[in-house]
Amino acid sequence: MADVFFIGLSLSSILLLVALGLAITYGTMGVINMAHGELVMIGAYVTVLCQTHFGLHFLLCIPVAFVVTGAVGYAIERFVVRRLYGRLLDTLLATWALAIIIQQAIRLEFGAAFAGLHIDGLGPGLQNVPIPSFFRETFLVGDFVVQPYRTFIIVLTIGLFILTWWLIFHTSFGMQLRAVSRNRGIASCCGIDDKRINAWTFAYGSALAGAAGVMLAGFKTVSPSMGTPFVIDGFLVVVMGGVGSLFGTLGSAVILGEVQGWVASLLNDVLARAIVFGVIIVVIIIRPQGLFSRRGR
Amino acid sequence: MLELSQMNSYYGASHVLRDIDLSVRSGEIVSILGRNGVGKTTLLKSILGLDVRIRGAITLDGEDITARPTYLRARAGIGYVPQGRELIPDFSVRDNILMGCYARTDRRRLVPDLVRDMFPYLRDNLGRRAGLLSGGQQQQLAIARALASEPRILLLDEPTEGIQPNIVEQIEDTIQRLNKQVGLTIVLVEQNVKFARAASQHFCIIERGAIAASGVIDALTDDIVRRHMTV
Ligand SMILES: Nc1ncnc2c1ncn2[C@@H]1O[C@H](COP(=O)(O)OP(=O)(O)OP(=O)(O)O)[C@@H](O)[C@H]1O
Ligand SMILES: [Mg+2]
Repeated sequence: MADVFFIGLSLSSILLLVALGLAITYGTMGVINMAHGELVMIGAYVTVLCQTHFGLHFLLCIPVAFVVTGAVGYAIERFVVRRLYGRLLDTLLATWALAIIIQQAIRLEFGAAFAGLHIDGLGPGLQNVPIPSFFRETFLVGDFVVQPYRTFIIVLTIGLFILTWWLIFHTSFGMQLRAVSRNRGIASCCGIDDKRINAWTFAYGSALAGAAGVMLAGFKTVSPSMGTPFVIDGFLVVVMGGVGSLFGTLGSAVILGEVQGWVASLLNDVLARAIVFGVIIVVIIIRPQGLFSRRGR
Repeated sequence: MLELSQMNSYYGASHVLRDIDLSVRSGEIVSILGRNGVGKTTLLKSILGLDVRIRGAITLDGEDITARPTYLRARAGIGYVPQGRELIPDFSVRDNILMGCYARTDRRRLVPDLVRDMFPYLRDNLGRRAGLLSGGQQQQLAIARALASEPRILLLDEPTEGIQPNIVEQIEDTIQRLNKQVGLTIVLVEQNVKFARAASQHFCIIERGAIAASGVIDALTDDIVRRHMTV
């Protein structure tokens, strides 16, 4: 019982990190980044590469991936998204193309494959990331089987959620971000450099996806296409929770992760996904503004 | 202080303002008058570079700011109180004021003493949500937000529009104090000719996107008002 609940929560955690990034970029800039899942994938590959080439400890891969994917996100905003503001469809297409390019870059080992070279950890195949042994040994607390790795994912996610909340509601950056997302024109009339805020928001959202990628790498095989489902899943979490509501995103990630976890343990994974989508459809029909949002948008 | 020369403004393909020449001297109030929809708001937005595309030149204290993005114009000392106020309703009074501070040259974030002195209601209700304020209080807050950036020139767009008649006088008084006591240069978009006459030194009437009449305020005769402003 409790361990199924726990597995569900760890799925929720990954979903939450992915969705948070989408939620803040969509909320602030009105942009949907179709390459968001690829940032998760990049986070996972950063882990693979750091471990195979530099022997970096798994835990240290998290900050490294955070910074690398943040930088990639910053670049995506600077060179692609910024040029397409106010053109939602063009942005969708451009970032989707970018997603494919990123995947192919990993498959082709950034072009090294053409020269007949091979970089360990890249290429079209699957990669596995060993997690430290202390994460693998389950132990008992009373009747409850504690899975250290799942627990770690949940705790880290809670930490990152609190960090995000603090950043948005208690820092000067967050105030500018909220001002820009409410009224971009007036924010810039108040001296706020809205483009800079966009770029950093995008970078931060991407960094969260990268962190999710590291954690995902610890319990799933890593492959170039692993990120693809996450854009959809993440965005559904945002929509179900209510666009613009941080806690809405949290609530809906928990619900969907749990549904997935429970159905998967009682029946199977495929059915679990179907039921998750069913839940979302029902919620969106009954409450189009999202579960936790007071007003529509 | 502020100079527009041969300025043309466009929203996409629609050409809204034509060949505007306007010169605002330091320390004065210039009133922009005209019927609804002639382009008064567009004039202010052009000065800020907000939403519109312009041709021509805008200089502030001799510096060409035409190519600068909006936030840099704000930081150069242009304060803006938009039509309809455009506060952020779920921000507190304090946060709405602090928003203005991003345009300060010293980048400090505080509620300036000037705001506390001028608007005791705001001073005593800093924690209230802006959306809960009355129309007049919201107008005060919009002015306070602009003042928080310590601007050199203030653009006011119909500050008494949609405000209870008994509060209108208070707002008008505030505007005159800002000009006389604080020494702020003001560009004022107004519908009320009487107040424009009382407060400003120069006027400028816009009709269908072009300047129809302008000059010192004494030249604003009833005849001109009748010709360009009555509906
Ligand atoms: N964002 C916009 N996009 C396209 N056209 C616009 C936009 N804003 C205003 N216009 C058009 O530009 C013209 C001038 O509008 P503007 O708001 O500047 O008039 P105004 O003089 O301020 O009117 P009012 O007295 O009603 O405030 C109008 O014809 C209006 O329809
Ligand atoms: Mg107007």
